[in-house]
Amino acid sequence: MEKKKHTTITHPHYACSIGAAYTVSAIPGAVPVINCGPGCVDQQYFTMSFCNGFQGSIGAGGGDIPGTNSGENEIVFGGAKKLDGVIRSALKIMKGDLFVVLSGCSPQLVGDDVDSVVKKYREQGYPIVHAEVPGFKGNNLWGHEEVVISIIDQFVGEQKGRRRKKLVNLWMGAPYFNTFWRGDYIEMKRILEGAGFEVNVFFGSESAGVSEWKNIPKAAFNLVVSPWLNLRVAEHLERKYGQPYLHIPILPVGEEATTAFLRQVVEFAGIDNAKAERFIEKEAARYYYFFDHFADFFAEYWFGFPSQFAIVGDAAYNIALSKFLADQIGLIPVGQIISDNTPVKHRDAVAALYAELSEGVSGNMEFIEDGYLIEKKLSEYDFGSGTPLILGSSWEQDVADEIGALLVEVGTIATEEVVLNRTYVGYTGALQFLEKIYSAAVSG
Amino acid sequence: MAKEIRQIAIYGKGGIGKSTTTQNLTAGLVERGSKVMVVGCDPKADSTRLLLGGLAQKTVLDTLRDAGEDIELEDILKEGFKGTRCVESGGPEPGVGCAGRGIITSIGLLERLGAYTDDLDYVFYDVLGDVVCGGFAMPIREGKAKEIYIVASGEMMALYAANNISKGIARYAKQGGVRLGGIICNSRKVDREYELVEAFAKELGTQLIHFVPRDNEVQRAEIRKKTVIEHNPEAPQADEYRELARKIEENTSFVIPKPLATERLEEILLEFGLLDI
Repeated sequence: MEKKKHTTITHPHYACSIGAAYTVSAIPGAVPVINCGPGCVDQQYFTMSFCNGFQGSIGAGGGDIPGTNSGENEIVFGGAKKLDGVIRSALKIMKGDLFVVLSGCSPQLVGDDVDSVVKKYREQGYPIVHAEVPGFKGNNLWGHEEVVISIIDQFVGEQKGRRRKKLVNLWMGAPYFNTFWRGDYIEMKRILEGAGFEVNVFFGSESAGVSEWKNIPKAAFNLVVSPWLNLRVAEHLERKYGQPYLHIPILPVGEEATTAFLRQVVEFAGIDNAKAERFIEKEAARYYYFFDHFADFFAEYWFGFPSQFAIVGDAAYNIALSKFLADQIGLIPVGQIISDNTPVKHRDAVAALYAELSEGVSGNMEFIEDGYLIEKKLSEYDFGSGTPLILGSSWEQDVADEIGALLVEVGTIATEEVVLNRTYVGYTGALQFLEKIYSAAVSG
Repeated sequence: MAKEIRQIAIYGKGGIGKSTTTQNLTAGLVERGSKVMVVGCDPKADSTRLLLGGLAQKTVLDTLRDAGEDIELEDILKEGFKGTRCVESGGPEPGVGCAGRGIITSIGLLERLGAYTDDLDYVFYDVLGDVVCGGFAMPIREGKAKEIYIVASGEMMALYAANNISKGIARYAKQGGVRLGGIICNSRKVDREYELVEAFAKELGTQLIHFVPRDNEVQRAEIRKKTVIEHNPEAPQADEYRELARKIEENTSFVIPKPLATERLEEILLEFGLLDI
């Protein structure tokens, strides 16, 4: 008998689509209201927040999300009534500028008319939207896009007034899922502002909250910095507001990539580049001040440094970190495994990014979701004679131990790291990334 | 060893007369001394009206909704004609919730509450016409009904439905013990109806177990909320149901049906002149 392709995976490197509740939690002033069975979101909380750098939360987001805890009664008789009560209570006791109801599998299977429940409150003037994010439709990244599009359609509204030439909507990684999202958003906003832009970041400490969302139509363009995530959002905004978008698939890491990134954005926006160039000069000087110190150490220290690396991660971090290490540090890329279930229609474009990681260096990229197959693959790579370096998640700890590799956690799940304000992107992040890798290397 | 309860599911196109046939058949079996429980698996909850003398019963799901899990068997099980046990699964309001899950819930509850006692000879599941999802196949899952009868008539859509139901039975039969016991023809007085339904049954690999003629006595009894046997025990139609009861009691033919291809079904219909109408 021909062996069938297996239909289950172990050790997933992503969460269920209702994990998009954390997209809402990441918006200052926004409150997720979950409409699903008990435990659905708790599991996503553990995958995306707790066991992912122990990120914690403020406001509604950790263990304090209002929800329906739908049971058998809601399945058999419909859950609209219970949801109505939960929304009413949430509006009464939770302080929020925006409420997002997320419907999971059970209401979606049964066919509850959730829109009509939510619409009633919206018509009374409450800022509330509904996103359909059942787990059978996709993972948390798909859910993230659904939530963003639902907020745009049901809360942001129509375009009023003129576009502001220097205002940019920044769309990059999914909050919480990207372990370092808070630091990344800070750095990306910092460098774009340094180059002369105003930036709607939507999530995290640097976001003004829902007022930024209301300002989406006022931006000159949408900037998508990821291989595929949020392209759907940008295409939607292009259709809705006629707003153009610039897609830069690789998150910039290090001076060369970040400087090129800023120049590309400035050129696309058509703004004066004088401010950007002054900023770049200052940032580059600082970057190389530290980089030169690093080079000194890098050249002198010869006790078993890794020279070859493999990476397991979502498409965004995978290409960004691979390119930086291959192109700027000279490490040899042995294998790159993208574990985020990249949608099939984007796979060719994502694969093309690996054709030339550095001059004359191409990648060896594969899309694998199954943690078991990932471990198997890692154990088969030839890392040469040096210490293997694996950039991955806690799921790769066992195989790293087996082959004597250094493991640096760069994505979901990360149980050996407490992550607060850390970033691996831009000028600042590249140096933090080097610190992290080489601290691991010297401590063995 | 305790005798095995014969659990029987009745399927068929909506409006074909499943509930009427099941209840009249039940009355026939009860007369023969059998102990029967009828479980209505239709959200309309009209499967036990003739045995109970009206729609007096609160459904399992209504009770569950009002009282929660704290339910006694007597809250949901009522005794009807000559000690027949009657249960209505019930369902959500039309258009909301999940009626299929409702059937799973209520049959599960019946089992937990111990409704399936050893003194029962038969349990009938009267299932709504269209087996639209897994919930409506609950009565024929492993460990439940092992016998199925399909109520049909000589009308084209009734036979289409019967053929479609057979596909579902064939699927379940492969993984469990469920078998088709026969087709019950509830006559609509279509031309050559007996021959047509008999030919169809044969083609399926089963039998036309009984041809129930059309008789207004059924309607007269229904208006009085009674089975024919209770309302007018002397009527010839009462004997028809007694005959059906006897045949089912004595039935030994249980098969995995061989559903017809649509083309073949239409050929049979043509053969018996139906498509000429």
